[in-house]
Amino acid sequence: MTTPNAPPGHFTILYFAAATSFTAKNVESLPAPLSLRKLFDVLEERYEGIKESVLDHSLVTINLAYVDIPEEGEEDVLIEEGDEIAIIPPVSSG
Amino acid sequence: MEQNSTKERLDGRVTATNGEQNGTSRRLTDEEFDRYSRQMIVPEMGKEAQLRLINSKVLFIGAGGLGCPAAQYVAGAGVGTIGIIDSDVVEPSNLHRQVGHATSRIGMKKVDSLITHLRDLNPLPTYVPYTFPLSPENAADIISQYDLILDCTDNPATRYLISDVCVLLCKPLVSAASIQKSGQLIVLNCPPTPQGKLDKKYPPCYRCCFRKPPPANTQLSCGEAGIMGPVVGLMGVAQAGEAVKILASGLHLPSSTPETPEDDPHNLIQPTLLIYSYDLNAAPGPFTFRALKMAPRKKNCFACGENSPQTLTLEGIRSGNPNYVQFCGIQTAKTTLPIEERMTALAYHVVKQTGILPNHILLDTREKEHFSFGSIDGAVNFPFGKLLMKAATIKRDGGDAEEILPVKSAEDPIFVVCRRGLDSQEAVEKLRELGLDHGGKRKIVDIIGGMKAWKEEVDPSFPFI
Repeated sequence: MTTPNAPPGHFTILYFAAATSFTAKNVESLPAPLSLRKLFDVLEERYEGIKESVLDHSLVTINLAYVDIPEEGEEDVLIEEGDEIAIIPPVSSG
Repeated sequence: MEQNSTKERLDGRVTATNGEQNGTSRRLTDEEFDRYSRQMIVPEMGKEAQLRLINSKVLFIGAGGLGCPAAQYVAGAGVGTIGIIDSDVVEPSNLHRQVGHATSRIGMKKVDSLITHLRDLNPLPTYVPYTFPLSPENAADIISQYDLILDCTDNPATRYLISDVCVLLCKPLVSAASIQKSGQLIVLNCPPTPQGKLDKKYPPCYRCCFRKPPPANTQLSCGEAGIMGPVVGLMGVAQAGEAVKILASGLHLPSSTPETPEDDPHNLIQPTLLIYSYDLNAAPGPFTFRALKMAPRKKNCFACGENSPQTLTLEGIRSGNPNYVQFCGIQTAKTTLPIEERMTALAYHVVKQTGILPNHILLDTREKEHFSFGSIDGAVNFPFGKLLMKAATIKRDGGDAEEILPVKSAEDPIFVVCRRGLDSQEAVEKLRELGLDHGGKRKIVDIIGGMKAWKEEVDPSFPFI
């Protein structure tokens, strides 16, 4: 399992299923560090409408482990250089 | 419905808790011995595990792309009772992936077709057909008769219903899903844990992982978005793998796990979501399998969390609370354009034929794969996703909106056609938002009902997918 390494000062973000369709990408690099709470805003800026259509019901992982997006008052998580984020929307068909 | 031992039906928990009582200590018949020998000699299997499989009851919800491959291996492994529920009939477009059906059984109920196939594979299990859809009214009655449930369905409403009922009835659930080139697999509620229990880490339910469904207009079916056979096949086979593992090791039995999950070496307390994706463009693609560590049962989960016994009950589900269809939304057109901005496929054809229609641009917003099978003469392919992205870029960074059109002709009216007439309406709105209608001077028109309507109203030979 290899993913192209993000360039220095960046993290890798992987898109699955509907997230791939929406961004027309499987993977890209974004500038690190970034607060997890701001991740959706950064993506919304790049892909208008992605929050409502994809992100709000997707699950997010950092380095292959599930994370909750911190709500107001909850402790934030920092996405660091070299981290791998994945955006995983539910798939329903079969 | 074929009747099995009523006692076992009434209390699935009895199964395999006491070898004497239900036959985990009996001798295998010669036929069983021959048939299952290759898997029984695998380390950690053996006779007891095989008898646990034989004494188990598994329910497949869905007899399609996931259910077919999953049921093959579960039947082959010798699980004693196999229930299958699905109301669809076999169609030619199913056969590239639904390997339990056959060309000779097109038109037959999928459940009957799959059972025909499975009986041929292994006549020993008891097969129980349900040729109607799973519903909030019947779900608990059916699910309660089984030890383990496989979610092989194709829509979010049923997925939430199945997970909720499994939580309430303490049934483990192996859930898989697949579309286009990717698939997901997760074992939920295993070992089965009573609703609302949170004193330790317990396994999640579907709602713990996916709190809410995607908006209705973004939910795609295999019929709309497409599906690669091997991708969904792999997920179905992986489901069977988990099912056999759970049953052979007795993880489905609440009463056989007296230890707390944390002390139990066999627990699945590290729930894992397996993601498979398959890139048609990259040969040995970098994103093949990923195993993601999921969180345990969530305190605030609607179905299994702290206050869930107040929010979710079997009686509630039966009487329509929650309303699964409403929760998952009903697919409606996002925009409905006024009639002067729309034209039927037939009207478009007639005005074009009679020469009344001036020079114009016809944009076809289907994906290029759909477009490759045929299009209206003169149509230019401009996939909807690309259109949205280009529109967003112009909105964000500015620039000449005219540039996003694949053909340049600033005066000519624009007609937009899509597959079924939903995307095209949204496309018309987007183009107008960008000012391409020149303040109303240039017409931008939606062709009602898309290429589906074109086939129905104008050209019956059109290859519509």
